[in-house]
Amino acid sequence: MSRQAQQRPAEPAKPKPVVIPPMVDEKYGSAAEIMALPPARLVAILKDPGASVYAKAKACQQLAVVGDRTAVPALAALLAHPQLSLYARFGLEPLPDASVDEALRAVLEKVQGKLLVGVINSVGIRKDAKALNTLARLRRDRDDEVAQAADAALARIRPAL
Amino acid sequence: MPKKEELVSRRGLLKAAAQAGALAAAPQIMPARALGRGGAVPPSDRVTLAGLGIGGRGTSVLRSFLSQADIQFLAICDVRNDRREAIKSMADQKYGNGDCAMYSDQYELWARKDIDAVLIATGDRWHTLLSIGTAKSGKDVYCEKPCSMTIAESRALADTFQRLGRIYQAGTQRRNGANFVRAYELARGGKLGKLQTLHAEAGPGERWAPLTSHAWLPAEPEPAKQVCDWDRWLGPAPWRPYNPQYIQGRWRGYFDFHGGGILEWGSHTVDLCHWAGDVDETAPIEFEPQGMGGITPYSIHCRYANGLRLVIRDKGFMGLGSCHFRLEGDAGWVETADGGKIEVSENLRGEPLEIPPGEAPNATTNHVRDFVDCVKSRKQPRSNALAAAQAHITCHAAYIAFQLGRKLTFDPATDSFVGSDEANRMRSRAMREPWRL
Repeated sequence: MSRQAQQRPAEPAKPKPVVIPPMVDEKYGSAAEIMALPPARLVAILKDPGASVYAKAKACQQLAVVGDRTAVPALAALLAHPQLSLYARFGLEPLPDASVDEALRAVLEKVQGKLLVGVINSVGIRKDAKALNTLARLRRDRDDEVAQAADAALARIRPAL
Repeated sequence: MPKKEELVSRRGLLKAAAQAGALAAAPQIMPARALGRGGAVPPSDRVTLAGLGIGGRGTSVLRSFLSQADIQFLAICDVRNDRREAIKSMADQKYGNGDCAMYSDQYELWARKDIDAVLIATGDRWHTLLSIGTAKSGKDVYCEKPCSMTIAESRALADTFQRLGRIYQAGTQRRNGANFVRAYELARGGKLGKLQTLHAEAGPGERWAPLTSHAWLPAEPEPAKQVCDWDRWLGPAPWRPYNPQYIQGRWRGYFDFHGGGILEWGSHTVDLCHWAGDVDETAPIEFEPQGMGGITPYSIHCRYANGLRLVIRDKGFMGLGSCHFRLEGDAGWVETADGGKIEVSENLRGEPLEIPPGEAPNATTNHVRDFVDCVKSRKQPRSNALAAAQAHITCHAAYIAFQLGRKLTFDPATDSFVGSDEANRMRSRAMREPWRL
């Protein structure tokens, strides 16, 4: 074996390039087409009861970058959706507006289990000091995952001295 | 089931003490290997290792680990049954026993107090989360690249390992590859003069598109959980319907799982540039993309606060193999890649460029050795958490500039873009419940 061949660092066998699959929303088109829509159209997708989970997921992901406070109610309405709750948080977490914190705080009282854990995590990421009392109560929740999430969020918002 | 109190009763303790005494009085028969005779490394000098998510690349790295006499592989954790079995078989065959434990839940692995270090080779979406969790469980980490999905993850990685004092080695093995080291030495030894521009290959755009796709593959029935736990496979990544192609390796190229060519190869080549350019603890302050709208040719032109320039590009290298990097100074230049050949400017052709036969040719094995030595010495390995984080932050910022299609200004002190709300929103991503950093 030549030295050049010996010196080639081992790399994994790379798969062939991914062919973009033809998964298309009947009404709104491909992921790329949906994400090219202006913010108001993205919000309209979230409000459309006929839009697929796929279309709504992609709309949420694009609103994470281009959405403003007008998108918050439509995103917040999905926080209790089993498959779209994460996508709603994906859209809300980076959105720089106080209405996001209000919306997340309101949902802390309405969802349970893993979805509540997710919302608590987002509250922690946003360091919402107005959620301290609710989080202090949730850290005593009977659901261990909820209690641990509240603990972690409190540590983010109010780090130890 | 006995009550807790019964488990530590006086009678029980006396019985255990009596048994211990009997054992102490019995003749001690231990294999010579366990004592370190016959060339074997005694247990006190061994580093005990486990694997988390070991597929094709992970198996290759694991072979390098198993070639080290002072490594003892104890356990594999994977969401895929076939991979658990394959790695257990590999380990058991090496040691001639059936001792390699199998787990599908990382928390069970982390609970093992007899494991010193963990090799993490899952998909990228899990890398930071598992690295941090492993560090918190008191273990050191060798993690495949790319090491993070976002700027925020990169910073959390560096901060955690610094705070906990654990050892971290990113799988950017070229820092221990002989020809790359020689190029580094030319630069750091002053042979190139004052460094001006560093060039990092991001892989050919035709094969490794700079940007990723947001598409989903069509839904197919999920396998049984014990065959492949799809929920755990996704981990912190957004939910999407199952399709077997993802778990067969075709998860690359999707935004939720991958960083495109810029992260796939920049995690190696930008990392090398940071190392050679002595900018391991910072990131550029400007990112200017060129060639948007297509997949090739493209480039991102970056500038550091000290005036040094970095060009991340997919084309225009010398054809020396994959993973080119090129260093240009005011007194000369050097370029090398995976082929091993080192090209230099004419004035440097008298420099010793041949790699001595004694130098180990395998970068991965050298890199693994560097890690194992540092686990023992507690010194920082070449691809430590801070260095890896800064190179990844550079790649993520370059990706964001390319995606937005405009020049961006970046503040390395705060990991934030100056004057771009859109870019700042792309520095992190919400994680799927219940996962968090």
